[in-house]
Amino acid sequence: MEIDVVLSAQLASVRCVIERWNRDQVLALAPDASSQKAAHGVSSPAKWSGTGVGADALWGECKGSGSKPYRACVDLSEPAYKCTCPSRKFPCKHALGLLLLWSADGVPAADEPADWVGEWLDGRRGRAAKAAEAGAARAAKAAEAGPADGRRADRREQRVTAGLADLERWLADQIRQGIAGSRRHDQWDALAKRLVDAQAPGVAGSLSRLGATLDGDDWPARLLGEYALLHLLCVAHRRLAASSGSPASSSDGAGDIGDAADAVAGADGEVRGGAEAGGAVPAGLLQRVRDRVGFSMTKEEVIAGGTVRDRWDVLGRRDEENDRLTARRVWLRGRETGRVALVLSFAPAGQALDASLVTGTTVDADLAFYPGSAPLRAVVAARHRTIRPGAGSVTARSGDAGIGPGGVGSDGAGPDGSDAVRPGAAGTTAPGPETPGPETPGTSVAGKTVAGTVAARGEDVGAGPPPGTSVRAALDQVAEALAGDPWLDSWPVLLEGVVPAGNDLRLLTGPSGGLALHPSVGTPWRLAAVSGGHPVTVAAEWTPRGLRPLTTWDEEGRVIVL
Amino acid sequence: MNASAEWEDLVSTALVGTDRRPIPGQAASEVELLERAAVHTLRTRAGRRPVTGVEPPAAAAPEEQPVIPPAAADRFAGLLEGKGPKLLDEWLEAAAGRGYRLAPHLLPRLLDHAAKDRSIRPHVGVLAGNRGRWLAGLNPSWRFLLEEVTSAAVTGFDGDEVWELGTSGDRRVYLSARRAADPAGARELLAATWEKETPADREAFLKVLADGLSDDDEPFLEAALDDRRREVRNEAAYLLSRLPGSRLGQRMAERAARHLTLKPGRILGGGKILVTPPETCDAAMERDGIRAKPPHGTGEKSWWLQQLVARTPLAVWPRLFGASPRDIVRMKVVDWRREVVAGWVRAAVVQGDPAWARELFLDDPLADLLAVLPPVEREAVAVDFVRHHADRHGRLVDRLVGVPAPWGPDLTLAVLEKILKLSSGNQSWYVGEVTRLAGERVDPALHDTAARFSPEPPIQEVAALLRFRDDMLKELQ
Repeated sequence: MEIDVVLSAQLASVRCVIERWNRDQVLALAPDASSQKAAHGVSSPAKWSGTGVGADALWGECKGSGSKPYRACVDLSEPAYKCTCPSRKFPCKHALGLLLLWSADGVPAADEPADWVGEWLDGRRGRAAKAAEAGAARAAKAAEAGPADGRRADRREQRVTAGLADLERWLADQIRQGIAGSRRHDQWDALAKRLVDAQAPGVAGSLSRLGATLDGDDWPARLLGEYALLHLLCVAHRRLAASSGSPASSSDGAGDIGDAADAVAGADGEVRGGAEAGGAVPAGLLQRVRDRVGFSMTKEEVIAGGTVRDRWDVLGRRDEENDRLTARRVWLRGRETGRVALVLSFAPAGQALDASLVTGTTVDADLAFYPGSAPLRAVVAARHRTIRPGAGSVTARSGDAGIGPGGVGSDGAGPDGSDAVRPGAAGTTAPGPETPGPETPGTSVAGKTVAGTVAARGEDVGAGPPPGTSVRAALDQVAEALAGDPWLDSWPVLLEGVVPAGNDLRLLTGPSGGLALHPSVGTPWRLAAVSGGHPVTVAAEWTPRGLRPLTTWDEEGRVIVL
Repeated sequence: MNASAEWEDLVSTALVGTDRRPIPGQAASEVELLERAAVHTLRTRAGRRPVTGVEPPAAAAPEEQPVIPPAAADRFAGLLEGKGPKLLDEWLEAAAGRGYRLAPHLLPRLLDHAAKDRSIRPHVGVLAGNRGRWLAGLNPSWRFLLEEVTSAAVTGFDGDEVWELGTSGDRRVYLSARRAADPAGARELLAATWEKETPADREAFLKVLADGLSDDDEPFLEAALDDRRREVRNEAAYLLSRLPGSRLGQRMAERAARHLTLKPGRILGGGKILVTPPETCDAAMERDGIRAKPPHGTGEKSWWLQQLVARTPLAVWPRLFGASPRDIVRMKVVDWRREVVAGWVRAAVVQGDPAWARELFLDDPLADLLAVLPPVEREAVAVDFVRHHADRHGRLVDRLVGVPAPWGPDLTLAVLEKILKLSSGNQSWYVGEVTRLAGERVDPALHDTAARFSPEPPIQEVAALLRFRDDMLKELQ
């Protein structure tokens, strides 16, 4: 009898072990291609001893060149890594090799972690708690800004205003003189430097990325489009700053930031946001403009603004190297709230990036969104657990994540730009496209966590793709987001029931039509192979020039990194 | 003006500048232009409609084969990262041999690989499954797959249909199976469509007849000596040289008697072989497969003589010289020994003659000769060679490559001993090569034996590779 109890307890603990990641998911954690290769070299069972996997940790000792084996350990809940080897790569090849071994079912389940593993885990969790306290303390300190801080902030406002006025004049000059001779990559360097000096790094960054518009025959049209959006940003900043006495709060200035901005959301001719017809500047839009200009916030400030708890599907990620800095974008989508999020991290080129969000997993976490209309960028405030995909198959919901009230149609603009719809209405105050279902879920409310449909949180999510949307619904979501953030150049979409079609299979098409891929994406052979001409779910990054496919799910519901 | 015409107008105005082309009725043309451009840009981005009217390609046919197990799929992906091409080949052969298909997301990488490496295509044909063939129909650089063997031929259902409609790979596999069961039937099947086959197919199908070859095939092969394609003629000539009773065999025997004669010695078997090499290569010799033009650096007579010996049925020589292969190999050949022995070696390999191969190997331990011996004898010869002769004959690896996998326990032990000896001496520079070959060829089930043999690093390296292969093959069970 007692033996039975012990046995079933052991079985239960074995069952609780986190669902193993597949090989692609593990390799996606590697900082670079050579690490992937090296990891294969140490992924054979012969290299390892004392391996084990518990509820949330994986460990083992790897034979190295020295007499003492390296001890590697992975906290699977984060994931976080530790290894005694001297490598500067992170995670090192031993941690990756151990994960590969685990992924191939080569690590036995264990009830208790080895002593050294337990110590590390405890130490890490202790430090995490301390860091959180310190962060909270910093945030509290930042909140009580002294007079010196005020003066410094005023000086910056003046510099930014002057810098943007300079840019506005420069843009006007370009258009007066003509841009025919503008196909030169170095022409923005001096201007970008001036804007860095003017403490407007966001605008400076936009300028330094303009080089990308020069490829292709349609460069004049694309360059003009980018110039026009920069002009729009300058005008928006000028008018909003003038109308809102203090930058941090909205006040009684005129709501009108220019005809162009008004027209942004005017596609379906519906007039929204009656609230600001009285003249109040939408706080969300002001925040968005300041964000685009380059006023940054600390993580603590963002978290202090409130968090959203949900089960977040990690849809995919993309790394982009720019000026010796690699930016990693990880796209998330909440099961309950339907909200999408972008978690950004940076590292110097060649160094390890944050690998804690594994594509295809679902994490129960609190996310804090950077404020502003069409909120997208977020930080992970707290992780509760990684939800393993359940064993059962999932019946995918059809694309019902329709647009919220006041959604922007995708049927094209009216004959002129006169439909005056205030951008920003889809900001933090109105339920956006990202909020399907009857609840009014996780919008940030200062200082506290707003949960989505919490009731379902305890349940595991099914295996296979998260429920996606139709192409049309995805375009509606993008239009809605553009209404809140006209400068938006990427947004995650999760398309359900699409097939690669057309020339070079560069069109993802479903019952409501198709969307083309980004010109830099070749024929998506891996996606085509998984699909075989049958409908699949694809997570992709929308950009103005087309989709970049990130992730799909095969017929057995396994996640495939594209 | 519609939206796109208006936009084109804005762009062309921006190109030349509003100074030269102001917007009528606007005080600040440049600002007006930028604002209109912003409106247009955002309208385009926000108002994009789904593209309609594009039909996806017809869906791939359902699969008939089981998909490889997930662990095997992961191992395959790792092998592509580069554990060495030999292991990848072994994996492909094992997986295809068991009739699996590859998981779809791995297919593009497999097909890219096969586009560069012809040798793996027969396996790829099976592993690709219907999804792979569907992809090959969409990508011109993968089109080769459509000619390869499919699982239908391997699992051998409706034969007539495969022969009539299958890919050339399928038809080759079917012909082989038919040849094994009914040699004459297979030949007749081939003869019936022979004239209509492409030159490449004729060459490939003719090679199938090497199994189950008999005098019954002679008329068909003799006719093939007049084929339009040189490779076909060549292949027919080699097959005929394996039939001493063939007309070609008789012609070669006459030539052999003309150019090689025995000068008897005083003791039995102590004779000398006198050689008068051919002075010309006439049309009849060319028809029998002797090529007139020597490779660069080889003399004409030397080239013709070598081929003449190689194309002569080996059974001719004992009759001609009245001695056994053992004695003939030991005879003195005046002036032309190098050419004559090279011809015999080639003949032993092509005609698959173990008696000659055995004697010739003792004279010169060439890897190709080992491959001709029956497996048990081959392994015994190899063991003897590794233990007693390897040091005199240069590089061990060059000989051992003639012993195909899997190596049994005796040869394995002999090679492991040799590796230990080499790595302790000053010949360690090529231990790595022997180690790698042993890891690839030794029966993977012996990985424990190897691991316990010695703790020295090269031995452990062999053991690790064997264990890897053992795991790899077990995953595919």
